[in-house]
Order: sequence, then structure tokens, then C-alpha cells
Amino acid sequence: MNNLSVVGQRIPKLDAAEKATGRSRYIQDVTLPGMLYGKILYSKYAHARIVRIDTSRARKLEGVRAVLTGTDIPEIRMGVYKDNPPLKSGKVRSYRDEVAAVAAVDLKTAEEAIRLIEVTYEALPAVFDPETAMKKEAPLVHEAHKTNVLKMPWKLHYGDVEAARSEAAHIVEDRFSATWVTHCCLGTSGCIADFDHDNHLTVYSNTQIPSLAQKDFLGTLKALGLKDRRARVIKPCIGGGFGSKLDTYAYEHVAILLAFHARKPVKIQFDRKEEFIATSTRQPAIMNIVQGCDENGRLLFRDIRMILDNGAYTSWGATTPSVMMLPISSLYRVPNVRYEALCVYTNNTYAQAMRGYGNPQATFAIESAMDALAAKAGIDPVEFRRINANHGDEVTPQGFRITTCGLAGCIDKVAEALGGGKRKKGEGVGYASLVHVGGGARVYKSDGCGTLMKMNDYGQLDLFTGATDMGQGADTVIAQIVAEELGLHIEDIHVIHSDTDICPWDVGAHASRTTFVAGNSALGAARQLRSQIVKIASRVLDVDPQDIRLNDRMVISRQDPEKKIELGKLLRKSHFSPGGNMLMAEYFYDPDNENLGRDFKGNLSMTYTFGTHGARVRVDEETGKVEILRYVAAHDVGRAINPLLLEGQVYGGVMMGIGYALTEQVQLEKGEIMNPNFRDYKILTAKDTVPIAAPFLETTDAEGPYGAKGIGEPGCVPTAPAIANAIYDAVGVRIKDLPITPERVLAALKKKGGDDTCGIDPLTEKVYDCTS
Amino acid sequence: MKPFTYLTPHTLDEAVSLYESHEGRAAYIAGGTDVLIKIKEEKIEPDYLISLAHIPVSEGVRFNEDTRALHISAFTTHRTLELSPLIRRDYPILHDAVKNIGSVQIRNTATIGGNLANAVPSADGAIPLITMDAVAHIYGTKGERTVDLIHFFLGPGQTVLEKGEILTEIVVPPAPARTGSAYIKFGRRKAMELPLLGVGMLLSLDADMTTCVKVRIGLGVAAPTPIRAYNAERFLKGREVTDATLAEAGQIAADEARVRDSIRGVAWYRRELVGVLVKRMGALCRKRITDEKSIS
Repeated sequence: MNNLSVVGQRIPKLDAAEKATGRSRYIQDVTLPGMLYGKILYSKYAHARIVRIDTSRARKLEGVRAVLTGTDIPEIRMGVYKDNPPLKSGKVRSYRDEVAAVAAVDLKTAEEAIRLIEVTYEALPAVFDPETAMKKEAPLVHEAHKTNVLKMPWKLHYGDVEAARSEAAHIVEDRFSATWVTHCCLGTSGCIADFDHDNHLTVYSNTQIPSLAQKDFLGTLKALGLKDRRARVIKPCIGGGFGSKLDTYAYEHVAILLAFHARKPVKIQFDRKEEFIATSTRQPAIMNIVQGCDENGRLLFRDIRMILDNGAYTSWGATTPSVMMLPISSLYRVPNVRYEALCVYTNNTYAQAMRGYGNPQATFAIESAMDALAAKAGIDPVEFRRINANHGDEVTPQGFRITTCGLAGCIDKVAEALGGGKRKKGEGVGYASLVHVGGGARVYKSDGCGTLMKMNDYGQLDLFTGATDMGQGADTVIAQIVAEELGLHIEDIHVIHSDTDICPWDVGAHASRTTFVAGNSALGAARQLRSQIVKIASRVLDVDPQDIRLNDRMVISRQDPEKKIELGKLLRKSHFSPGGNMLMAEYFYDPDNENLGRDFKGNLSMTYTFGTHGARVRVDEETGKVEILRYVAAHDVGRAINPLLLEGQVYGGVMMGIGYALTEQVQLEKGEIMNPNFRDYKILTAKDTVPIAAPFLETTDAEGPYGAKGIGEPGCVPTAPAIANAIYDAVGVRIKDLPITPERVLAALKKKGGDDTCGIDPLTEKVYDCTS
Repeated sequence: MKPFTYLTPHTLDEAVSLYESHEGRAAYIAGGTDVLIKIKEEKIEPDYLISLAHIPVSEGVRFNEDTRALHISAFTTHRTLELSPLIRRDYPILHDAVKNIGSVQIRNTATIGGNLANAVPSADGAIPLITMDAVAHIYGTKGERTVDLIHFFLGPGQTVLEKGEILTEIVVPPAPARTGSAYIKFGRRKAMELPLLGVGMLLSLDADMTTCVKVRIGLGVAAPTPIRAYNAERFLKGREVTDATLAEAGQIAADEARVRDSIRGVAWYRRELVGVLVKRMGALCRKRITDEKSIS
């Protein structure tokens, strides 16, 4: 395994030069002949009855080709809870509610038409806080639903938490909260819907789920009475996903509806403001945690209750508890666990999948509480984590089969890098670990991915994969795996992932699964191709098939290296002889993992990724400002297929995590987003990068392609608690709400010092007047 | 975004007369980093944009050896100011401010005059200049006039500029010997950031290197316009500059700041920052005087 020539190489992304020189074609660059421009009118209220919509002036405007409102469209319900029509009728439930849409010959006309639509609203009492929304007297967001609490009971319980609690030597209990943040993809969302003469549909869209989007679009076709028509999804180059494109959005269905009515292709392209307002956030959460250990510091139980602000509609955000369960039950060994989460409708924006899928929120609570528990037990926080670390070859009580586990090694690596040294006043070090799915995640009926391959007469390979490259480098990693298997050069592999008419099925680019699942799928197809090559070569070279190896575009006998032939030559020989053949292969890989059962137990993933992060910070005690001096993020990656891209994933994840920890927040005021721009939404800039070291451990997992585990999400999972723990170490205050702003730190410091009660109470967020 | 006609006058008079002939429908544009955003956000919808970029006035900075005053053309970009050795050496407060405005790309385009005329409470360029008692030179149909920069700002987005008037130059008078100056932008990130609070300070010491003979404290985002902390200045003047008196000056400045809550920050925290940052800028001014003395 160590004689690898392509796997393990630091190969720059195959499309890096295309992107850097502006040649890559994003949705912004795509136009079709005769294409119209669509625009959506959003609600002016957080909660209101729609009394009347007058579209007459918009319809009369020259250049307008279609105008639609919620009453003009068939019944279409988006999302996991089927509560979200693409255009709303009757009432609006949030500021991002789509009320009407137009298609016009150009963008200017479309914008003008939107301005000409007059909507009369009757404001309704609204609710913006999930705890208030749970009360009996709270206004109902969906009347037909009868309650604001979703019928999605997330409940996990094993062992005996009450008994463990009574036995515990040390217990900590706390409340943490995580707020809205958003993906901030550099490429804003957009799509083009195009019907042909027979009403077959093509949608060009930024999506991470081409196959499931295709299913959603087929649903919309069916609603339009076009039951037997086809839906084709073409992905242009995607400028970032991070989970934001894991569900279909209203604008995609609206574009289809407009195109159907206008009989022309329709493009809807978001600007940055619309991207902030009309795409989804990370799931916010209020998290109560009780955690206890015995006298030796061994964890005895974990008891967590959460309330999730679902917003007005339901997308994947509401299902993040399924992944939160992973760290809750299995980050460190915990024999007794109870977890319950409620999703509650409010008149706020609604959440989606976002890198980590609930794991960063849950890990913030767990790892902050781990630190507090270590302090209470009088054990060094690093030692406390070592005592409780998971190990390989064990099954956690939730049923996760941990195959390989490098957690202890990661803890050591980080402690070694950050521990010791003289510490100045106001400086501190904090640690936090993570567990995440690393070998797919069976959250759908299938966790599979298909690959088709064909090789030409020169040994060049076209590879059609279900996977989605959205900037993370899936194409490059897949090409490396296949090049390794077939003895090719990386440039011999052409990965095509852009079109559902061409590419096989895949459940989507989520759960850090692409390297693992699409990689195994590509490897499966490559092995078939390899055996075909070996068969031919065995005949041509007259050697035993076992004796053949492929390397550097050559087919060679191991025993007698003089017996060799150039791969292309071999293929041409085979192709251009009587009864000749072409080299083609197909493979569908669906991992042998399990859906969570009704008790939420089951082996969700083929393998699990572990890691530990550590931060050294300096806290300005007069301003509350936190500066990160050094950051170390160690991960058990199975095997680094491409260390360059791997480090990129970790650096990017950590920077996203630092933003989550310290600066980022979608600020909602009574349901309205107050900062829909990069001026006031504080995503970190290149200037804000900190020194990050990203060491990795290779545990070579038997199930992974060449031993690899998924590493897309982990970089941002334990970042916030590592920083929060470092702040505690530095100045003795524990901030329990994200983001950890200087205001919160300073208020906590003042409270601790007892010299002043002015400022924000970091727990209740109540603002105390400083003047009185 | 509404379309507009782009006009390129080559003299100040031509610019002013173009404005007059399109009155109510025209806006001036220099670097454009504020104007274009306003147009895109439909806060203004001019039919004509009158560019000030083609007027052959002296872009850049000039030190008048006779008057010892610094002349800054209003059309100077922040990047030019940032890279000027003269500014860096003799007007560190201005260097502190301009080097952290937006990004390099923005600083390459945005002008100091635009920063002032745009008159947002968070304008980083304004605070050092009011702290240095700068004077604004204004040109319009009635000819030229001057206004002390501290009186230039009337409210958020509002200045003393009459319709059609153009800010042409900022003149910074000489400072006494043994003067140090400094500015800090306190923000949440290191680039593309508006200050949560901006504090500029200028301090002149007596020959004893302790007694304050002159002090200016300028505050940004502490009121609807850039302001000076007069009470704190009065307190410090004539006193010995020590850590304790600087801290007290900070407290006085915090008390007189008219901070408010906004989505960018809460009032109590801004007030805290005024106290801390005035103290720190005072100390930095003192250090710069000492360093300067040790060099010379």
C-alpha cells in the first residue's frame, strides 16, 4: 500500500487554473437563447394575511411574459415536512415568504414588474422565540398543524440516566445557545428552467443533490399535469455549497412554473442580499446539558434537552438532531445517555443543512460542559479527555461501530503542539474533540453513488460519477483514486459530474461522504476495468493475470519486466481486432451502513472520523476582544488521498468555525434580517486568517478507498468550544452563547469582577443600563 | 439599478456648472465606492453622475514649507495617503486611519474627500483630520470658502456643503513641538470593516515631557457626526500626562460620548470602549513623542 504513486500526492485541484483565470462557467455565466429573467416578490411582514394581490399593472408592463401568485399554481409542497409551497397564498409566515413572481425579457423589466405588484396585507400577531411559541396562547404559524411544535420527536435514551446521576461524583449543568449563521457561498444561487417542445424539462441549477433535485422537479412536473415528462438537471460550476444546496428552494420551482407559463427558458439569479434573505441558515439551538462523571473522571451520563427554532417552514435544519445524536452518544465513552429535541415553528427564517449538520452546535455544548466537568473534578482538561477517549474496534451504545479511531493520538498531537511554554496574562489554551460520520451516512433509503467509465484507444478515461464537486475537490480526489488503481496519470482522467442525463444516481454531496462513497464507487468501476485490461494483457503478453501490474500508463509483468506494453497500444490491439471490444465499466456502491431505527440506534456510517482542536488565545480584558494566537486541528483521516486538498478543507473549516465562534450572526429583529450584506455579516476575511496547523493521523480504514475517511465537515465542528474553553482558561469566564462577541466577554468579566452590573448578561442577554 | 449618464468635466467650474444645469438630478462621483453602492441600493437615483476624476487638480499631499501646513487634495486616494512617507512619518494618526479602511482595492479607488463628504458617523478619515484641526476648502458657484472640519458635519450623511459645492482640499495646520498622534479603529474583523468605535488623539507635551500643552480627542461612531471630547480635552490640558490622568480623561470622554445602540454594537459597550481606547491612544501618543525624541 505504500508504493502509491498518485494517491497521497499533493495535486492541486484539477479545475484550479480554470477558476483562477475566470474560465469556469458558473450559473451567472449561463444564458440560453430567448431566455427570460425571473424575479420574486417577498413578504413585507413576518406574519400576515394576504388580503389581496393586484398584479394588473405588472401584467400590462411591456416585456413581461408571466406573472404568478400562490393562487395561480398547482399544489406543490417542498421540504422534509411538506409544509412549504413555492408561492404562498392565504398568508405569509416570514419575511422570506415568496408572494408573487414575474418573468420578463430582461432583469430591469422584471424588477419593475415586481414593484408594480400591489399586495394588501393584514398583519397578524407573530412569534419569534421558540420557547414562547411553545406556549398555549402563542399565535399559530400553521393553523392546520394545530401546534407550533413539530411532530418530529427526537428522543434517544439508553442506560439509566437517573441512576447514573445519583451515583455521579461530579455533575455540571448548563444552558448553551447557538444562533443563526449562514453559508456565505461565494457563488450566489441561481437556476434556469427550460422546457422543450414536448414539455421535457431541463434545469440548470447549483445543487449538491442532482438526483434528489431531479425527483423534486419531477414532482413539480406532476403537479403541472406533466406526469410522464422527463426532468434533467445540469450543474454548472458551483461556487460553494456547505450544505446550502441540499434541498430544493422555492426559486427553482418558481423558475419551472414561470418557464412553463411563458413557454421560454427562465433564469432566476440571486444577488447577495437575496442570498442572505431567501436561502437558509444553520439550525439555531437552545441546549440544556447535564453531564456527570465518577471520582476517577470517567463519564457516567449525559442528559441533553434542546429546543430548535424551526422558523416558518421545514427543511433539513429540523433533522439535524439525527446527527447531533452522534456526538451526544458517542463523543467519548458515555454509558448512559438521554437526548430530546423539539423543533418549534416561529415566524423567523428556516434552517438548512450546513457543514457539520448540527454537530457544531451539539459539540459546543458537550465540549464546553466537558471542560467545566474536568474543572469540577479537578482533572486537567487534556487528561480528562484522554480518560474518556473512544477507541477502535468498539460499538457505542447507540450502535455506531467504530472501526478505526485516532482520537487519543489527536489529543496527544494537539496537547503536544499547544501545551507548555510560558503563558502571559490574558492568554489561555483550550481543547475540544469531535466525532463525525466518515464513511457515508444512511439518512436516505440509499446512501449510494454510481460510476460509469469508458476508456478510449489511448488509455484516456472518461469517468461519469454521481458525485458533486462544489469546490471541495471531489473530481481531483476521484481521479487520483482511479489513476492509482489503473496506473494512469492524473491528467488521463476526465471526471464528468454535471448532468443527470449522463451521470448515475447519487444521494448527494453531504455528510462528508463523497471521498468515501463516490471514491469507493469509482474504485469499484476501476477494478472492473482493471480486470478487463489484465485479461487482455495476459493474452497479449502471454503472462499469468496475477503477474500483471499497471503503472505509468504501462502494462507490465512483475516476474519479467521486459514483458510490457504501453496501455494505449494494448487497447488499440484489442479494439481493432476481429470481435474487438471497448473498455467500459459501471459500478454502484451502496455502503453496508444502517438507517437509524425508531429508537434512533443503528450504524449510520461505515466508519467515523475523529479529531481534536486546540486554540491558544489572548483576551483583552479591558475590551473583551479575543485574538487567536495559534490553532491546531488534528484529524484521524484514515488516509490522506490528497494532503493539499485535505489541509484546504481543514483550514477552510477552521476559519468557518472561528467565524461561528466569534463573529458571525444573521441578525434577526422580529423576523427581519438586519444585516443581509458582507459589511454587517461578519464573515472573516483573508486578513483575519490565523496560524493553523493541520496535522493528521492515518489509521487506514479497511472500508475506505485506500483507507480514507471523509473530512469535509470536521474542520468546523469543535472550533467554537475549543475557543470558548481557551477563553475560560485565559480569563476565567465561560461564554455559553454564540457568537462570543467582545461585548459578551466584557460583560462576563465585569460580572465576575463584581465591579459593575452594566452591560449584557451573557446568560439571559438582558441589557442592564450603564448609566443608572 | 437605475441607469445614469456619466459626465466628465475637466475643470472645477465646468463641474459646478454641470451640476447647476442638472440640479436635483445629478450627483458628484470621485472614487465611487460610496456613491455606486447608494445607487445600487436605490438610496439615490441620479440621472447624471458628474465625475471629479478628470479635473487636473493636484492629487496627493503637499507640505507648505512656509506655513508648515499640510495640503491634502480631496481627490487623494486612501492608498496614496497610506503609502506617503510624509504622512507615515509626520502624521501617524492619519496613517493609522487610512491603512485600515476597507481593503487595498477600495483604498486604491476611494478618496479622502469622498470619505468626508459622505459624512457617515463611522468615517475613519474624518477623525484624524478633526483631531488635527484641519480646515476644509470648498468650491462652488459663489467661489471658494473654508470651514473648520469639525463644523463640516451636520448629521449622518449631512454636511455644510451647499448644492453643487465641491470639497477640494483639506489643510492641516502645524502642530507644536513634542506632539504625538494616534488613531485606532476598533472593529470585529481586520478588513472590510466599519469601526464599532474610532478614537483619534493628538497630544503635545511641554519641554518637561510631562505636562500637556495641547490635546485633541476625536471620536467616531460616538455621536451622529464625528465629535471631539471637549470635556476630556479640558481636563487633560495643563495637567501632567500619567496613566491615571489618561484613564480619567477616558472616563470623561466616555461620559460625554453620545453613543447609541445599533445593529453593529450596543451603546454601553461603545461607551466602555471610549474610556479604554482614549486611555490607550493617549499612551501611544506619549510613546510616539518619546520615540521621536530619542530618534532626533
